[in-house]
Amino acid sequence: MDFKNAIANLLASSVFFLRNIFLLIFSPYRTMRNISRGKDFGQAFLIFLTVFLYFKFVYFLRDDPYPATITFLVFILHFLFTMAFFYFLGGVSNNKIKIPGFILTFSYTLIPTLFWFVSNSILYVFIPPPRSYSILGKGFSIFYISYSISLLTWKLILIYLALRFSTKLGFYRIMYLMILFLLWFIPYSVFLFHFKIFRIPFI
Amino acid sequence: MKTLNYRLRQKLDEVYSVQPNDLGIPVLTNMYHFVTKFFKTMPFILIIPSSFVGALILYLLFGTLTIKLVSILQYGF
Repeated sequence: MDFKNAIANLLASSVFFLRNIFLLIFSPYRTMRNISRGKDFGQAFLIFLTVFLYFKFVYFLRDDPYPATITFLVFILHFLFTMAFFYFLGGVSNNKIKIPGFILTFSYTLIPTLFWFVSNSILYVFIPPPRSYSILGKGFSIFYISYSISLLTWKLILIYLALRFSTKLGFYRIMYLMILFLLWFIPYSVFLFHFKIFRIPFI
Repeated sequence: MKTLNYRLRQKLDEVYSVQPNDLGIPVLTNMYHFVTKFFKTMPFILIIPSSFVGALILYLLFGTLTIKLVSILQYGF
């Protein structure tokens, strides 16, 4: 009976998960506000499961890769560091942070990253690099850069909204937090690049 | 009627869950509210054309470096 309940809960979570992804594209503000009030950890589980499946998939594409489990553990580690960073610094001036909403909103900020990495690995299979200097190559490069900028902008919007709704901080404090975050995250990304764990950090 | 009141209160709680942003200077605050309204609903209507223009400008400014950047990014998964 418990197993049946767990399956039913997971199915319900997956419906909400797909619905929220769809709504985050069209109405990120309202959707992130709703997510920050939620407590359904099944959705966070589904996001992490999708990330794990992605790592399993790219394991077969990379040259000389680390096992998917190790890259996933490194990802979990830096995701936890990121959350701890924002939780403690965001909580310095505000003690009203609700942990379930905080975890859920931050998990949903992984969706643009997941979109970019999945599409990038699929493009790697069908249109492998390096890019040529022909008209088609230049056209594809412009398309690819604009696609990447679009997803990066979406990602920044979601991170801002996640911080705004889960920590209730104002614009300036969120900007300070983001700058402080980049101060340690950029050297950390260089470290990951150096050890060939992630060429572009999955965050 | 009680349900309607309850739902209305819930909605108001949700809408006012965060205080409106005040950037200190009225002009900045107005500008913030003006800009952010485009990102609250259907942000891709603005994001897609502006990122395309941004990519085009990058290409015009840096030329072949942009194409090299794409090759590097494609190995970045």
